[in-house]
Amino acid sequence: MKTCIACGMPMEDIADFAANDPSKDYCIYCSRPDGEMQSFEEKKESFTKFLVMTQGFDENVARKIAEGMMRKLPSWEKYFD
Amino acid sequence: MKVNTRKIQKLNTRKKIIETAYKVFSEKGFSVPSSIIAKEAGVSHGSIFAHFPTINDLLVSLLSDFGDKMGARLHVLAKKTDSVENLLKEHLKVLKEYETFYSRLISEINILPDEAKNTFAIIQSTVAFHFASVIECEIEKGTVKKLPIHMLFNTWLGLVHYYLLNKDFFSESNESVIERYSSELLSTYLNLIKNERRVYE
Ligand SMILES: [Zn+2]
Repeated sequence: MKTCIACGMPMEDIADFAANDPSKDYCIYCSRPDGEMQSFEEKKESFTKFLVMTQGFDENVARKIAEGMMRKLPSWEKYFD
Repeated sequence: MKVNTRKIQKLNTRKKIIETAYKVFSEKGFSVPSSIIAKEAGVSHGSIFAHFPTINDLLVSLLSDFGDKMGARLHVLAKKTDSVENLLKEHLKVLKEYETFYSRLISEINILPDEAKNTFAIIQSTVAFHFASVIECEIEKGTVKKLPIHMLFNTWLGLVHYYLLNKDFFSESNESVIERYSSELLSTYLNLIKNERRVYE
């Protein structure tokens, strides 16, 4: 099974893929409305917001967790050298 | 295609170390020295360091493996789920499967290094992701009270974690706390968050 290169989510159904396109390597949640992949900053902020909204974390702590998660993903490696 | 046996062997050793660490950590906690894991896995102490330079590296790899497995299971189960009740049932099923390790993890999380803590938060965020999408739907339909998502989620985790952390009070032997209390935990939680069914005239 493919996993999203930008957030690690498993992608099984067509609906999981960006723009419903299974040839894409990133998921629907990591794409912009036009189907392009979100930038590093956009992804970091959206994941931070998600952690605050769903788990109630402190925003600064959430941002560090978001960075920690992104550090391990192929799309974002280059931002952490 | 040429099969690289050395590479496969290396991967097997790595897998063996992680599986053994999972077992040893579950039973004895996370401060067990790596020499014990080596002994149990039947590999040399040096071999552990070759794969994982520090015990923290081992812990983080183990946790992300664990998170991937748990995440993948939940992801598949949550797909078929349309109600918070079914999602939480599935959550309990997954927790039951990993109960010993998971209980150890939540009881020692505060003394683990930051990277391990963050990995744990990411594991929970997979659960939170499915929880949020199902519960938002239910709130919209009016079947669940309009409370902040994080409070609904944390209340559920708080309840389940309390039973896991105080296992010794809730069960006498080695029986699974989740198994014994899952229906009571679930029905109580649902009663708390569900809206009274509206009566139409
Ligand atoms: Zn993604």
